[in-house]
Amino acid sequence: MSARWEFRLLRLWHAALAGGFLVAYVTADEDTYAMHVFSGYWVVAAILLRLLLALAGSGGGPLALPKPRLTWIRPGRNPLFAWMAVLLLAGMAVAGVSGIAADFIPFVEDLHEGLAEASLWLVLAHAAVIAWIFQGRRVREMLKGSAAALLAVVLLAAPAAFAADAARDAVKAGYARQAGPGFAGFSSERGKALFESRNAASPDYASCTTCHTADPAAEGRHAKTGRAIKPVAVSANPKRFTDVAKVEERFERDCQTVLGRVCSATEKGDYIAYMESK
Amino acid sequence: MKRIILAAALCLAALPARADRVRPVTDPETLAACGECHMAFQPAFLPARSWTRMMGQLSGHFGDNAAMAADKAERIRQVLVAGAADTGGGKAGSKALRGVGQYDTPQRITELPRFAAKHQRIAEREWKRPEVTSKANCPACHKAAEAGLYDDD
Repeated sequence: MSARWEFRLLRLWHAALAGGFLVAYVTADEDTYAMHVFSGYWVVAAILLRLLLALAGSGGGPLALPKPRLTWIRPGRNPLFAWMAVLLLAGMAVAGVSGIAADFIPFVEDLHEGLAEASLWLVLAHAAVIAWIFQGRRVREMLKGSAAALLAVVLLAAPAAFAADAARDAVKAGYARQAGPGFAGFSSERGKALFESRNAASPDYASCTTCHTADPAAEGRHAKTGRAIKPVAVSANPKRFTDVAKVEERFERDCQTVLGRVCSATEKGDYIAYMESK
Repeated sequence: MKRIILAAALCLAALPARADRVRPVTDPETLAACGECHMAFQPAFLPARSWTRMMGQLSGHFGDNAAMAADKAERIRQVLVAGAADTGGGKAGSKALRGVGQYDTPQRITELPRFAAKHQRIAEREWKRPEVTSKANCPACHKAAEAGLYDDD
């Protein structure tokens, strides 16, 4: 393979990886889960392909993956390029593989989300470094005008990672406030009793366990429609109880259906406490 | 020029796959709200007047309480009405309306004449299988139902 074709292949591969990562990142929401899974596998496959391409390319050519060194043998590339490639490829590979693993081992999901966020920052840093090296002066002039705006964006975007636990705590704190004076903390035992209680309000849904099964960490099934229901336990489904509007809507609807009445703020907090303990 | 011809050829080749497709719901809010308890049925299976009636009585939704904030219900109603059998439902929509009176507001897709005709050969015990549970559980048999494909019988 001539160096020219190797370089074309490299650019094609770069586009495939960058595109796959971008799609995986923006489709991480549950609503677009199928696309997220597909693009995640795509990213992992692209990284494996890169290792194979390195074997197929000529030594020292565009497709070669030079061993990262600490010394700079001039003339030649700055050794930091190789380190950057290692960091990027390893970060994305581990992020991708942990995403696949999270399908089988739920607690890997936190690791996966953390790594994915970190990978995005690596990619942005990578783009900035490359832009700086090859378009330095032009970039510096552009930046002078928009430095303040950039800083604001960075400050706003940074705390987005690991927000799920904080969001759930906020939901619980809201119920603690509503519980008013005399409130003495939520109890996961009371939550368990509520979850397992049998009721007479509706013959089709005698208990929470009718649809959710007796094990909150297991997948449930809607008693009437047969629709699969994701686990309620936080350990099996970390996104549970993080969106106030959704949580309220569900309690309002399901308490009425199963218990035949509204739930008190304390009961709601107890229920969440039980699901966090499972 | 070559590229344009290639792209056109690829589009043509993909046409048969789209022909009998019922346009699925794409609005994330609608997908999440409807899809929580049952499949988010394609709006093309009911006329707009049916959807409007359904979204106006969510606290008694087929015997269950499916109440939601009024503004959310209204947004979802608009999505459903826009894709309904008699508005944006296309060919699948006009087929679904066969045998439905002009002023009828059917609520159960499974009680439409078209549904009955298409499923008359399915034995009662098939519907009762635990993985089916309900006639409304389309994806139990039509694996690609959520993508709008029902041709896999």
